[in-house]
Amino acid sequence: MEALNLNRHISGQFNSELESVRNQVMQMGGLIEQQLADVLNAMADNNVDLARRVIAKDKEVNQFESNVDQECSRIIAKRQPAASDLRLILTIMKTITELERIGDGVAGIASMVIENHGKEVPSLIGLENMGQIVLKMLHNSLDAFTRLDMKAAIAIHSEDKKVNRQYESIVRELMTFMMEDPRSIPFILKVLASARSIERIGDRCQNLCEQIVYLVEGVDVRHATEEELNALLSE
Amino acid sequence: MITLPKSTAETGMLTNLSAENTALEIKNLDLYYGDKQALFDVSMKIPKGKVTAFIGPSGCGKSTLLRCINRMNDLVDICKVDGSIELQGINIYDKSVDVAALRRKVGMVFQRPNPFPKSIYENVVYGLRLQGIKDRRKLDEAAENSLRSAALWNEVKDRLHDNAFGLSGGQQQRLVIARAIAIDPEVLLLDEPTSALDPISTLTIEELITELKAKFTVVIVTHNMQQAARVSDQTAFMYMGKLIEYDDTNTLFTTPNKKQTEDYITGRYG
Repeated sequence: MEALNLNRHISGQFNSELESVRNQVMQMGGLIEQQLADVLNAMADNNVDLARRVIAKDKEVNQFESNVDQECSRIIAKRQPAASDLRLILTIMKTITELERIGDGVAGIASMVIENHGKEVPSLIGLENMGQIVLKMLHNSLDAFTRLDMKAAIAIHSEDKKVNRQYESIVRELMTFMMEDPRSIPFILKVLASARSIERIGDRCQNLCEQIVYLVEGVDVRHATEEELNALLSE
Repeated sequence: MITLPKSTAETGMLTNLSAENTALEIKNLDLYYGDKQALFDVSMKIPKGKVTAFIGPSGCGKSTLLRCINRMNDLVDICKVDGSIELQGINIYDKSVDVAALRRKVGMVFQRPNPFPKSIYENVVYGLRLQGIKDRRKLDEAAENSLRSAALWNEVKDRLHDNAFGLSGGQQQRLVIARAIAIDPEVLLLDEPTSALDPISTLTIEELITELKAKFTVVIVTHNMQQAARVSDQTAFMYMGKLIEYDDTNTLFTTPNKKQTEDYITGRYG
């Protein structure tokens, strides 16, 4: 964040307001990362207790979103931020929305673990692998946000291709299971929804990275192609 | 992908303005007060029918630059100007230019409202009377039109012959604007026009500025950055006598090109 000179406002109060809201985003990010790691473990170990704890903790995530949102509105009303300050506030507001939705996805996966407990469900190794990729993407995105690292953000952005490939192969696998044993369809549909949730987390990490590019460069890359993104790196 | 137009994104300077859309072109302007140089090689094109704001810290030269546009600096003995300012293709610093005629084309409004100690009506038609217009009907018509354009008519139409000092500060400022536009200038210079006014009067004047640009080219100096952001189409940031960045207001306030601009508009010390 040093690149943005966040602590160099003439108003010390403004410095601390921005610092506080940014810290909360990092805490919220840390919490979500933990939630995702926990739900992946719960899935691997079929650990219903852990899954329940994940669902309970989602309330904290929601609370973070409300608090940060409120604080951002106050900053806009009181400080009328401009330029990089404005981009920071806008980025934070979009980032917490993405994080909160990742939280919802995680809670959904936790419900699947609870509901499918004791049922005959095919092995979820593919799902776990995909989960590990998005966990890493999430970790790196939050790290790139903290360091304002546009290069890292663009690199993480392209990781999503791997997730999409994994997702497609999981869908094919699950379809085979459903055809082989139609009685398993209700459970497998839940697994499919979870696979979809994990795949969406990858998309949301991409959104986080696009926001980082906007924050650092002031360029809107939400609909940019991979070539356009890479061109930014060479500029 | 939405990218900035290259011409402004690369240089932070508005340069791609066609001649017919240019109201004023300032070229390599240097200004000295005695030995002290106050403006350094300022070049910019001010677009027609738009609001252009000059912002920057105290002493950066923004008011000095504004005053150059109607040669108010001529009144300062030790002031020397090099370079040129072209209005309709003519350098206003050319020896052949009649300063009084120039000021009819380039009106100015100052920080503190300065109505003359006369009636509201006489204030508005003062410039026309100076031009020798005596026809009562013409004067009445001009007074009404100007007061309407200055969004003051409804408040004063029943007391046009009362003394102008009886108006509130915000009304006086609008009266002064009406006086300035009564002679139908090309350009209207506003030097911190709202800094002595309360927030509601300020908003009324800002609203007025937005309407005025349909008829006039407006150049405004303001200390209030949010005001520049609200009312202007282009913003020029000046620092220590130099034009640092001049760009579309939307760009300058969201993605400024120069670090100095960024520091100033976000309230950082550089």
